[in-house]
Amino acid sequence: MATCTYTVPDKSASGDNFYGAVICNQAYVDYFWNTYGFSGNKAYWDDGWGWDDACNTSKPLARAFNGCYALTYSAQDYQNDSYSSAILNWGRRYVRENIDDLRCFCGDGTAIARSKGSGLIEVYLGFFYTKDVPGRAETLIHESRHQGGKPHDANFPTGSTFGGGKSGADSSWNYEGAWMYGALYLWWYYAAGARTTSALRERARQRGNVVIDNAFATHPGFSI
Amino acid sequence: MIGIAVTRKGKLLRGKSPDTPLLGDADTLETKVVEHPFSFRGSEDNELNALIIEAVNRMGGTGADAEDNYRRALDELGKRAAEAFEVIVAEYEALPEDRYLDRWSLVHLLAELRQPEAAGALNRIITSRIPAEKARGSHDASTVAEEVIIRTTAVEGVVRLSADGVEEARKILLRHASNRTFSIRRASVQGLLETGEDTDKRELRALLKERGEQSLLRIKRVDVREVPQATGGRFVTHPEVKREAPSPDLGREAR
Repeated sequence: MATCTYTVPDKSASGDNFYGAVICNQAYVDYFWNTYGFSGNKAYWDDGWGWDDACNTSKPLARAFNGCYALTYSAQDYQNDSYSSAILNWGRRYVRENIDDLRCFCGDGTAIARSKGSGLIEVYLGFFYTKDVPGRAETLIHESRHQGGKPHDANFPTGSTFGGGKSGADSSWNYEGAWMYGALYLWWYYAAGARTTSALRERARQRGNVVIDNAFATHPGFSI
Repeated sequence: MIGIAVTRKGKLLRGKSPDTPLLGDADTLETKVVEHPFSFRGSEDNELNALIIEAVNRMGGTGADAEDNYRRALDELGKRAAEAFEVIVAEYEALPEDRYLDRWSLVHLLAELRQPEAAGALNRIITSRIPAEKARGSHDASTVAEEVIIRTTAVEGVVRLSADGVEEARKILLRHASNRTFSIRRASVQGLLETGEDTDKRELRALLKERGEQSLLRIKRVDVREVPQATGGRFVTHPEVKREAPSPDLGREAR
């Protein structure tokens, strides 16, 4: 067992302040808890993680729910989650089909999340407090892609911000790996995200471009 | 206040035991809440400070009126943009290194305010040394990437000034076309091509030719609809696809 601490600003650009007011509704709490892998994992979300305080956005559970809200409702036509539509629509479907268990841990600061196989995803402090709300949705999609059977298959290119020569990159955009899924989600969020601000959409653009520039062994040749 | 009664009354979607108590202990978290991340040590103008806090806070809005509320907050701050710019820069410099999102929000605010006087400060942010990676063992987290996102956002601020006709901004973009960080180079090249004058573009092409980096000119900003899409449904279906309840309707007012 580990004990960790974190200082949380109430008013910041993360989006939690506003998303939090929306998710404080039993219908959403029920839906997110049962759909995105929280159910069955109460023991992990207790002890300061928010299980008994689901509307408190200084706590991780509400911040995870905020990410789930962005994942579920950022497409204008959110009720269409057909795989023939954009990833902004079906990202939520992909996550719910691939994550069985979502568990939280302090972590050691070296990862945002990890895919552990058999439908289990672990998320760490950075997921709740470094990532903004749509960034958490991106992380769930990235890790779901690993659960869906796509490991990283290349080393990061020379000069990559993720560490040139290190394993963990995708070989190309067309490999359709976790980095492509995450970047494509951010791109669609930037281009067509609904119920959000131009600031969070611009942040999605900047993050998406850094992924495109640095996480593929062969640069895709385009940017957001 | 609601609890998570759902764990008792909610409908479980899979055939597993709900929330079985662990035999061991899970991790414990203690959180401390502060009102906002800033110190405003150099600004005693509480009204101005409040406008900055409000604009940053509204960046993260959600709902049908989120953008309107953000724009309103920006407009109010914009009325005092000349004073605000120095306070924002001072706050950026005062924030701890690891407050990446908070630092980003201030840089984005500088970009939004489009103050020509901010060109030098944005250049300092782009030029500042990127600290060594702190998440070395990770495949997904990178403190260097967070730093680069802050700097490419500063480049975006310079691009906006260049579009407004600020000559210094064009010079900054040309300078960073040879920055050591690829994403900063790429963003600077694209920005100068989009907003620079013909002479700037000629200088840029000559520079890239000299450096053997003409491939940067071929990286185009495109619409997301023009790039290969993820093939949803391929390799995606878990062997035991869950039955699922439909997501709750947002209701008319939230759309």
